[in-house]
Amino acid sequence: MLIDVNAWLGTWPFRSLRDNTPDTLVARLDRSGIDKAVVSYIEAAFHRHPQSANERLARDVEPHGDRLIPVGTINPLSPHWEDDLTSCIDLGMKGIRLFPQYHNYQTDGAESRSVVQACAQCNLPVFIPHRLEDTRQHHWMDPGQSLDLTQLANLIAAVPDAAIIIPNARPLARSPLWMREDLRDLNWYFDLSLAEIHYGLHKSTNAMKDLGYLIEEGGAGHILFGTHLPFSYAGPALVKLAILPVDEETLEDIKYRTAAKLLNL
Amino acid sequence: MLFVVLTYHQELSKLPIANLQQLVKLTMTLDIESGIRCPKIDMHCHVWLMDGWEQSADHLVASGDMLGITEYWCSSVIQQGILAPVEDVPPHNDTILSAMARHPKRIRGWCFLIPGHFQDAIDEAERCLDAGMIGIKLYNQYRIDDPVLHPILELASERRVPILQHAGYPVPEHRASQPLISHGIHFSEASKKYPDAILIHAHIGGGGDWEHTVREMRQASPNVYIDVSGSNLDDGQVEYAVSELGVERVLFGTDGTMAGSVGKVLDADLTEDEREHIFWTNAERILAQQGATPTEPRTS
Repeated sequence: MLIDVNAWLGTWPFRSLRDNTPDTLVARLDRSGIDKAVVSYIEAAFHRHPQSANERLARDVEPHGDRLIPVGTINPLSPHWEDDLTSCIDLGMKGIRLFPQYHNYQTDGAESRSVVQACAQCNLPVFIPHRLEDTRQHHWMDPGQSLDLTQLANLIAAVPDAAIIIPNARPLARSPLWMREDLRDLNWYFDLSLAEIHYGLHKSTNAMKDLGYLIEEGGAGHILFGTHLPFSYAGPALVKLAILPVDEETLEDIKYRTAAKLLNL
Repeated sequence: MLFVVLTYHQELSKLPIANLQQLVKLTMTLDIESGIRCPKIDMHCHVWLMDGWEQSADHLVASGDMLGITEYWCSSVIQQGILAPVEDVPPHNDTILSAMARHPKRIRGWCFLIPGHFQDAIDEAERCLDAGMIGIKLYNQYRIDDPVLHPILELASERRVPILQHAGYPVPEHRASQPLISHGIHFSEASKKYPDAILIHAHIGGGGDWEHTVREMRQASPNVYIDVSGSNLDDGQVEYAVSELGVERVLFGTDGTMAGSVGKVLDADLTEDEREHIFWTNAERILAQQGATPTEPRTS
């Protein structure tokens, strides 16, 4: 079993994506050997009031209910977002996604905390992508911002009962999250989409490993399998999974067990 | 490398070959394990001038072992566009020569130069190439079509060695820190004057609008290449380079993004023959132009 915690449906305004419909994404998952994928509509990041995108998501993934796991999007600046959260639960969403850099609020501010607290009470994991696209190529209409991982660390500390997944982050081992030892036993997670196990570009020898170093330091429990399909190739995450320096039990956790538990599957 | 699930049907024999190839592609399942074992030449990576360069070299070789990389073409560069004094350059190249000696079957060298050093740059290139390096590495001190590069382009053409140039088309706020970074149009311009020079646009995934820089190379000489390295893993990137430039002009490199670069080529919508061109054959052909061969023969 392999669960991808980082996949998408819909349109990215600044570049054509392949395999971005439910049918084509499932076909891509088949080709990639991935059993299930967590999906949200990309457009929800740009909608001031994303609930209509959530409703469409629930409708569109229904024929692929055994493969696509819907995650709704909440904008805490949208009036009565609490009603949207209730609707998402009724629609069968298995988690909630936040886009602080697109909906324009502080990652560790009161708005984020309110949503994360509400999700924790409902036992829903919260997905907060570190970025959607490489900021070095962002279109002028795209804010093109990666989230501040220090602020994410503050958010995790402020709502310690929450489960928070941060796809597309890099680097990990020297990130403010892992550096804060008081957070190490909390439920926060990175994915395999972007970080390298052995990263040969850095000029200091102790910075040459990222995922590898995180694992050596005991952080394997914070890793999930994620691809960022269809923005990114699935191959990089699959290659990392194949060479990840972990034992078989940990590998099964990364492949699906931890995700299944978080998503209440 | 790819496991094909295709049930024979009588009608299939009536389909044109191109349609059959497409049908096979659509029904393929990624076989990552076989893909990892497939031999690869990483033509873009680094060993740095620093305390502990030996660890850097050893780490590189050990990392690539897990990914089927048999040899690495390495440089140590002065970054951030710094116009360093002449005497600062040779220690970088000496580090690479030392790494080559430490791993003679695995590490090959790019000679880093600052073109504004004029005759000193040419002398340094001759020294390093005579010592066994296989090409010239330029960073962002000058654009590749700057006339100051002409003597280097002439030397590279004469000796049939490639030039690997740091390149990309980042957005303005990222370009501000490297105003003289080259992108596709500069390679096209340089190749008009020196069509025989083997020029390599570094890292399509190095950050920036990769579609923009590749499109700018439509008019470049067939001797202009691009490598797939970089941390940007956008889906479709490799196929785009292949469709614009032809598969013979796309090279496999990592620039430190080891698993990511392997994964993007394995996942690209290409035939096995096209993948082999990127992982091996194109680099082998570049070596052949200077009378060299891969350090180890390709084994399937």
